[in-house]
Order: sequence, then structure tokens, then C-alpha cells
Amino acid sequence: MQLRNFILFSNIDSLRFALGIVASDGSQSNANESLLPLVAKGDGQAMKRCIDAYGPLVWSIVCRRISERNDAEETCQEIFTEVWQKAGSYNPKLARESTFIGLIARRRSIDWQRKQNRLPLLTDLESIPEASAATPLAGINLDRELLWKVLEQLPKKTRELFSLHFVKGMTHEEIGNETGLPLGTVKTRLRRGLIDARKLLKDFKLEEASKR
Amino acid sequence: MSSTGTYDRFEVLDAGRVLGDLSTDEVKEWNELARKHQSENSGELDWISAEFELRNSEPCPLSSSLLNRLNDTIPAFTNKSVPKPSSTNIISIIPWLGWAAAACLVVFFNLPTGDGVQNVSAELAQANAELSDKAKTITDLESAKQELAKLNEKLSGELATESGKIDALNTQIAKLTETLPLLQKFESLIQDDSDTQRLEFASASDPYNGLSGEVIWNDEKQEGYMSLENLAVNDPTKNQYQLWIVDPDRDELPVDGGVFDITLKDGKSIIPIRNALQVTKPAAFVITLEQPGGVVKSKQEVVVALAES
Repeated sequence: MQLRNFILFSNIDSLRFALGIVASDGSQSNANESLLPLVAKGDGQAMKRCIDAYGPLVWSIVCRRISERNDAEETCQEIFTEVWQKAGSYNPKLARESTFIGLIARRRSIDWQRKQNRLPLLTDLESIPEASAATPLAGINLDRELLWKVLEQLPKKTRELFSLHFVKGMTHEEIGNETGLPLGTVKTRLRRGLIDARKLLKDFKLEEASKR
Repeated sequence: MSSTGTYDRFEVLDAGRVLGDLSTDEVKEWNELARKHQSENSGELDWISAEFELRNSEPCPLSSSLLNRLNDTIPAFTNKSVPKPSSTNIISIIPWLGWAAAACLVVFFNLPTGDGVQNVSAELAQANAELSDKAKTITDLESAKQELAKLNEKLSGELATESGKIDALNTQIAKLTETLPLLQKFESLIQDDSDTQRLEFASASDPYNGLSGEVIWNDEKQEGYMSLENLAVNDPTKNQYQLWIVDPDRDELPVDGGVFDITLKDGKSIIPIRNALQVTKPAAFVITLEQPGGVVKSKQEVVVALAES
């Protein structure tokens, strides 16, 4: 069953959200910022609230890349199992809860795509940085406004590829088919774009620091 | 390659890891380089990509089936039950019929839409897909039902075959049970010291070459039995075996020893002698094949076996 880019309304809030009556992700998740420490303590009710709060976000990320409903649900299940297991490693000084959970959702969804192509799973890598170990740019929460500024600085072609990868959840092969670009070019531009984004972000931060 | 060179390569590969596009060889290469550059790998690319991912993520509420699945499987809930969402959370379909109608218009007339209406049409598509899933489940169940019917038919056939075998065994047991008293009488007569005569049968014509057996006779008791093996089963509607007792002291003509049938293909058949007249000193016993019911005087057209003193 095709799920990609589908949105299912199961309650009135979701419909209001879809119609633009209420704000999206960020403002909603702020109210839930202290859930993971409770989950880490084994609080089942907190886990339930965590699923209620971040489930829709996770489902959105999963459905970008996984078309089969059963596979998507299974991946969603794996993601929340990992959240339950790794909640203890979450550090609120380093990232928002939504970013922490979004990262797990993204990794698991990408792994599902790789599994379809019989490629080694990246979550199995030995030295993969744990979300807790990561020190995002000078050890503070990633500034989203700054990140959007960075995105605007990237070349238009790179932004287009980012859109296809991050927004539509396309594989590199699908992007190649969509844009007519060779697979190697898609790969190189996306990798280079991500590295450039990090560099620009660091530069912006240094610039800001020097102004103070 | 210099340390800077290997880091540059690692950075490119790490971006590939974050984007999920590493080939099998690149995974190996990443693993090797990660050991060297692990301390420099802060995971920033992961965070940036997660933020890019979240930027355009519009939350899609979970279906009740998925919520149930999570409640059933996440370790947090496996040891204790979590109350299901209360009924007040269930939305009546009636207030949303207008939206559904609008979505139908969008679907059928491809009207230009806003995000909300697109989402409604997406929900309808989702519902259709779910219906399609259920239809597939029904098809699968019907297919399974047919398989079960075939299996049932096959098993019934096998059961009938086995039942037939059991019936045949029961018949054989019944025949053996019937033979047992005769066998006991046969053995008892042999044990009798008085005047029991014992003669061996020999085949008297080619078709009966494999035949073996013996006949015992006691003058005093006027009682005797034949024990026969490898004598062909006869069809009583076409012909029957008949025993003749040759008693020269009595008459030149042999005495009728009775008509009998062979019903067991294998094993020993015990046949009681039913002499029509008194016999004193039998010199021989002859088996012939006769018409059903036997004859008064044998033409000896088919002589089966002979036992003589």
C-alpha cells in the first residue's frame, strides 16, 4: 500500500493542524521537552505520552521513505523501541527531544531503504556517533533559524537535491531519475552539500560570536 | 595518504553515511577510517540532517491500529497494560462528511487545492488502500480455505484406504478365529494315543505342485482333519474341493469325505472330514476338484492331491 506523502487524520487536532489552524512541530514539541528523562527512568506513562507527542512526527518521516504500510508500522515500532532503550543517553543540553527522536527515525527509515537494496545497515556500524555523544556545534542546541539561513546560502541545485532527499525522502536513484543527473553526481552533490552546510553553520557561529 | 587527506575522505564518507548512500565497499572504508577519526566525528552531520528532515515534516497522526501495535510491543508496555484512548477521542464521521465530499470532488475533478483538502484526499486514498488490504486478506483467506478443502479431500481418501486395510485385517482375524477351534481339535486328535492315522498329502497334478499338508484319521472316533497349505483358493460358485476316502475293506468305491472350500490364500487351512459313511481302515485319501456342491461319484477329472498309507 502506498503511504508516501499521505496524511491520515485520526483526530481533530491533526485536521486543524493540516488546515493551518494550529502551528506545527516546534511549538507543539516544546511542551514535551522533559519526556525522555522520565522515559529513561522506565516511566511507561511518559513513554505513552512520548508516542502521542512524537508518533505523528516519526510516522511522517517513516512514510516519506517506506511505501508498504506493514513495513512502515514495523519500522515505527523499531524506532520507539530504540527510543525506549536509548532515552537514557539523551542530553537536553545538546539537542531537542524532537531532533533526538527524528534522528533515530531517519536512521531507521534509511536502513529500511538500504535493506531493500541488500546493502549493509548503517545502524550496525561500530563507530556510529550516538546521539548523546554528538556535540552539535559548540555544544548548544542547533539554532534552527541559523540553519535555515545556511540552507539559503547553499547553491540552488544543491537545495533542490536536498528538497528531494529530505522533503520527499527519495533515494539517490529516484533523484537521478527525477532530475536526469547521473547517480554519481547526485551522490557527490548531496555529500558535498551537507559538508558545506556544516562549514557555513560554523562560520555563521564564529561571526555571531565575534559580533558579541 | 596524509592525516588531512584521510580526514577529508572520512568526511565525505561520513556525509554518505548520514545520507544513507554508502556502498558496501564504502562501508568497509568508513569503518577503517572511523577508528582513526572517531574522536573528530562529533555527529554534527547527523544533527544537521535530522533538522533538515524535521523542517518539512508535517506530523501525521498514528492510526489506532499502529497505536495498538506500539502499545502491545514496546517494552515499556509489555509488563503492564496501558489504557486505550478513551471513547471521547473517537471522532464521529458525520461532522466531517462535508470534508469528505470536498475531498471526493478533488479526487474526481482534480480541482486546484490547498494543503488541507489535499490531505483529506490523501486520507481517502489511505482508506481505499486499507480497503484494498482487507480485500487482499479476504482473498488470502479464501485461498487458504480452498487449500484446506483439498487437504481434507486428500486425508479422507487416505482414511478410506486405511479403513479398507483395517477391514481386510478384521476379516483375516475373523477367519483365523474361526480356524482356531479346528486347529485345537486337530492337535488334540494327534495327541490321542489310541488309533490315529497320519498321512502326508502329495500333489497329484501339475497345477497343484506346491501343495503340502497331511490328513489325520481316528477309526475309533470316526473323526479326522486335513491340514492343507498352498492349495489355491477356489470360487465356490464355480467349483469346490471334495475329499474321498478309500476303504478297500468296505467298498471298491471311495467314500465321500465332504465338500470344502479354501478361503485363505496364505497359511494353513484346517478342514474337518465329514464322512458320509463309516470308515474302518482307510488306505488313502484323495482330493478332487468338483462342481459346486460336490458329486456322488467322482469322474476324477481333476485330482488335486493324494495321501496313501
